[in-house]
Amino acid sequence: MAGTKFGFFDANVRSINLDVETPETIEGVLHREPSLLKCIGCGNCAAMCTAGHFTDLRFYRLNLYLKRGLVNEIRKEAQNCMLCGKCQLTCPRGVNIRHAILLMSSIRP
Amino acid sequence: MNQYHPFILPFFIGFLAMLVILFVRYALWFRGFSKENRKRIAVGLFTTQTLLAIKEVGAEALLHLKIYRTNPVLGFMHMSLAFGWFLLILGGKLESWYFTGDFTNPVWYAIFLRYFEPDSTHLMYHGVFLFFMELALLMVLVGVALAFTKRLKKSILRIKNTTRHNFGNKMALYALWLIFPLRLLAESVTTAAHGGGGFLTASVGVLIPQSWAVESELYFWWAYSWSLGLFFLALPFSRYLHIPTEMVLIFLRRWKIEPASGFNPDKGLQAFEVHSCPGCGVCLDVCPAINKTEIAFQSAYFVNQVRRGNGYEQTSGMCLNCGQCDEVCPVGINLENLRHQTRSKIFNQASFNHSWMPGSMVFWRETTEVVLFTGCMGRLNPQTTLAVKNLLNEAGVSFIHMDEEESICCGRPMMLAGAAESAKKMMDRNRENILAYHSKVLVTTCPICYKIFKDEYNLEIPVLHHSEYLWQLIDEGKIVREKSALQLAYHDPCDLGRGSSCYEPPRKVIDSVGQLQTLSRQREKSLCCGNNLGSLSLSENERQNITANTLKVLTLDNPDVVVTACPMCKKTLQRQSQVKVTDLAELLWETHPSNSLKFSKKIEKSRFLAEVK
Repeated sequence: MAGTKFGFFDANVRSINLDVETPETIEGVLHREPSLLKCIGCGNCAAMCTAGHFTDLRFYRLNLYLKRGLVNEIRKEAQNCMLCGKCQLTCPRGVNIRHAILLMSSIRP
Repeated sequence: MNQYHPFILPFFIGFLAMLVILFVRYALWFRGFSKENRKRIAVGLFTTQTLLAIKEVGAEALLHLKIYRTNPVLGFMHMSLAFGWFLLILGGKLESWYFTGDFTNPVWYAIFLRYFEPDSTHLMYHGVFLFFMELALLMVLVGVALAFTKRLKKSILRIKNTTRHNFGNKMALYALWLIFPLRLLAESVTTAAHGGGGFLTASVGVLIPQSWAVESELYFWWAYSWSLGLFFLALPFSRYLHIPTEMVLIFLRRWKIEPASGFNPDKGLQAFEVHSCPGCGVCLDVCPAINKTEIAFQSAYFVNQVRRGNGYEQTSGMCLNCGQCDEVCPVGINLENLRHQTRSKIFNQASFNHSWMPGSMVFWRETTEVVLFTGCMGRLNPQTTLAVKNLLNEAGVSFIHMDEEESICCGRPMMLAGAAESAKKMMDRNRENILAYHSKVLVTTCPICYKIFKDEYNLEIPVLHHSEYLWQLIDEGKIVREKSALQLAYHDPCDLGRGSSCYEPPRKVIDSVGQLQTLSRQREKSLCCGNNLGSLSLSENERQNITANTLKVLTLDNPDVVVTACPMCKKTLQRQSQVKVTDLAELLWETHPSNSLKFSKKIEKSRFLAEVK
């Protein structure tokens, strides 16, 4: 566990092994929604998000999780989405966020 | 009397094979009907609905009146092929009955009658039969000529796009094209050899030398028989399966068969619907995305993919669900619903959990006249929301803005993505929240929400779009505006227009403040703004192409302002438009005497910016 000391804390040591974290699933998502690669992580989507107001859902972060193979985190956060599409209208890069969320919440461990 | 010759075999074998395959396929589909639906068939069979269905089969499957109404030339092509062929079959049967005095003569005898009975002069009224049969043949030949022209030069049939077919369908198409010219040739050669013949075969027969005709007569009959046999064999596996299936579908609809939920293109009503699509391509020209995307996903292709069982995964997510094809489909296939069901299958693994949703267990809240719901997209358009609030204040209406602080999505985007279960939970929560206000009416500024509130929520209070409510306020004299010389183009949002048949109220509101322009694509035919929530996987580039095209239609007559009634359309059009785009509530508020000076300056500014660009 991370312990707090002197106003800062150590993050958990994480090693990401993409061979273990089912890269086919991740590549499948990226293949079916290639616009995910255009994301610059500006955070507009999260600023707009109603679900994000109540939960941990931050789409730009989900995208980072995806590339890091953090499948469990993705499933936990993506299921909060309402698919309303506000994020997509504010996205400066034209990422198909609703489609991406549908694909992400379909990932099975 | 000889009634048999080996050349009939290709036709007869093909015909029998078709009947067997059709029987097996239909039996499998019928097995997919639920118990209730089977009961409906049993009950419906002996009602007047059956007679009405027979009438509809005549009007739609033979005369093709619906296509005729949208495009007379195309309708005529379909009519001459279908009705002409029907007349040929009917006439052939009657003629053979008349010849033999026996109704139960073999099938091939009626079809190849001219070969077996080349000379009919010894019979009374033979000329009447001959004339009738050859007129029908001429009718079909005109249809074939038009169909051939359609492939060469589409503009003659007043269409821009025609369906591109796959190999199997092309083979069936070529066999169909060959049937009737071969019939004409075979009958003409027989006429040349043995005499007789009507106005058509006799005229062609004159050109053929008799000695050659006697020798080669059989070859033509063989060829005619082969083309028929091939076509019948291909029919159950190609788009021509629509010919018998559409007729069955008309009966099933008249008997009020309920569609089953889920994606089952090989079971029950959905199987009959999917296989009724003739791939006629009426849905192509009207689609706002035609030729604007890399992959063609229009309904004619999509349904064909569903039938084949592959490829639909990609195309079903691209469609914008604007409802245009659903509106014009001459067979009346429920295309919107089919897409939803397909998506529910593709994303059946997607799981959602909305237990975080705010608001619940409210038994009483302050009573008000109007509950205003601006929806998710309203959040992106605070100006529209503000304008509506100002207008309601101006009219002296008491209202509560329901989702000012906490908003839950109406559930339609979820539904469009095929996740009906999750949508239901959101709807339940919203319904609780709305009804807790005990208001007289629910007004929403978003057509997406409006459609689902009206169709699915079963609220006890009336649901109005803000255009309807504002028009009511103007009509009652609570909001007064002077008609100005402003040129206004109105963009019909898909979900408000085609989705909810609300065309007049927004037009009346706009007409009360300015001059409403007439557009080339409006009302039922209006184009999608390009960002309908129906589309999941259309790329940004493709969406922008669609928007650009829509804007071109909207700004053709140089309007001062493009007006719409949907926050989504407004936001989308605004991005690419050179002309000012606004919601009709904003228009109405900004033409208020206290704001009008500011408003005219705004328009001037946007015009100046457009010129600079």
